[in-house]
Amino acid sequence: MRLAPYVKFREENFGGVLFETRSEKVYTLNPTATAVIREIAQGDAGGIAARLKDRYADHDGAIDRETAAFIAELVARGLLAE
Amino acid sequence: MTGPGAAEAEDLAAPLYVAWQITNECNLACLHCIEESGPGKAFADELDREQVFAVLDQLLEREVPYLSFSGGEPMLHPHFFAMVEHACDGGAQLKIETNGHYLDPANAARLKALGVKAVQVSLDGASTATFGRMRVRGEFDRVLDGIRNLRDAGVPIEINFSPARFNMHEIGAVVDLAFELGAYSFYTGRTMYTGNAVKAWRHLEASEEQYATFFATLRDKAEEYRGRMRVYYHEAGLLEELRYRLRHPAALLIVLPNGLVKLINALPFVCGDFRRDSLDGIWANFRRAWRDPRVAGFVEELAEDPGRTRSLHQWVHL
Repeated sequence: MRLAPYVKFREENFGGVLFETRSEKVYTLNPTATAVIREIAQGDAGGIAARLKDRYADHDGAIDRETAAFIAELVARGLLAE
Repeated sequence: MTGPGAAEAEDLAAPLYVAWQITNECNLACLHCIEESGPGKAFADELDREQVFAVLDQLLEREVPYLSFSGGEPMLHPHFFAMVEHACDGGAQLKIETNGHYLDPANAARLKALGVKAVQVSLDGASTATFGRMRVRGEFDRVLDGIRNLRDAGVPIEINFSPARFNMHEIGAVVDLAFELGAYSFYTGRTMYTGNAVKAWRHLEASEEQYATFFATLRDKAEEYRGRMRVYYHEAGLLEELRYRLRHPAALLIVLPNGLVKLINALPFVCGDFRRDSLDGIWANFRRAWRDPRVAGFVEELAEDPGRTRSLHQWVHL
């Protein structure tokens, strides 16, 4: 999995931005979403949730659920490609 | 993640989009040209090669994700292809906005090989007569050949249409033509009363009734091509757009051929100069300048006198 062609990612103080340059749409990312995108942009999409759990407390499995939901949303919006 | 368009310039470390008019030289002399470009109209003080690449390096270093090169006719710039190569190799997504007269098969293939995001071609009519009336010195068939060359080379194509009273009736046909030629996006809006358009306004000015028909056709075409080609059109007038931008400045810098940076194309304000200022300094001043009371004052003067746009080239440095 990788960022779709025409999608650019940049980190910011508040998190990051995704810019889909074909439609010229900009999406802002909070720090957790930025952490997910950073791993994808670095070509390291496998096991993202596991690595996030090393960094953030996860008492009820929320990281797994939220990471999966976030990635599904990215795919639905055409921001990720297989 | 929030929805599209939610990033505010105030929160960002650098612009997201830099629209760079790399030269004012043009082979055409279009009736509506905002920049008053034309043959022999290059600025005397346009950036030289060293300055151009110094600007590009700053944009790439700050990870500006999206650039466009326009003009004038950008393909007439003496270092055009070197600039394209540098921008694309540096990771930026680059759009070229051209009149389409220099898109021979070799140039189209070169743009594809260099990796441009898209080439936007101006097509202001569906017939030789209409196109030629707007695009003085323009060659309709040559532009169509150029677009076909882009398509054959595999370059993503966008089409831009500038309306006037004499070409608006062809809007449906132009959208159809854009799709036939392989475009993935189509853009249009209202033609501004500035630049060359001031002198040619009696030929260009369209009534609100004409615009109503124009936008109704576009609504239908947007639906007809949904999922196959995006049809973008801005119905809002200039005043409405500027009032919105006062509250929500786009993270966009407009760079002129001499390195001056405009706040937005439709205002006369300059907020930086790449010949002497860094990108970081310009970006900081850009964000401050939007809060300058002279900007809001000018916008409200437009409400009283829409003709103020005739003076957009009398730059005011903030």
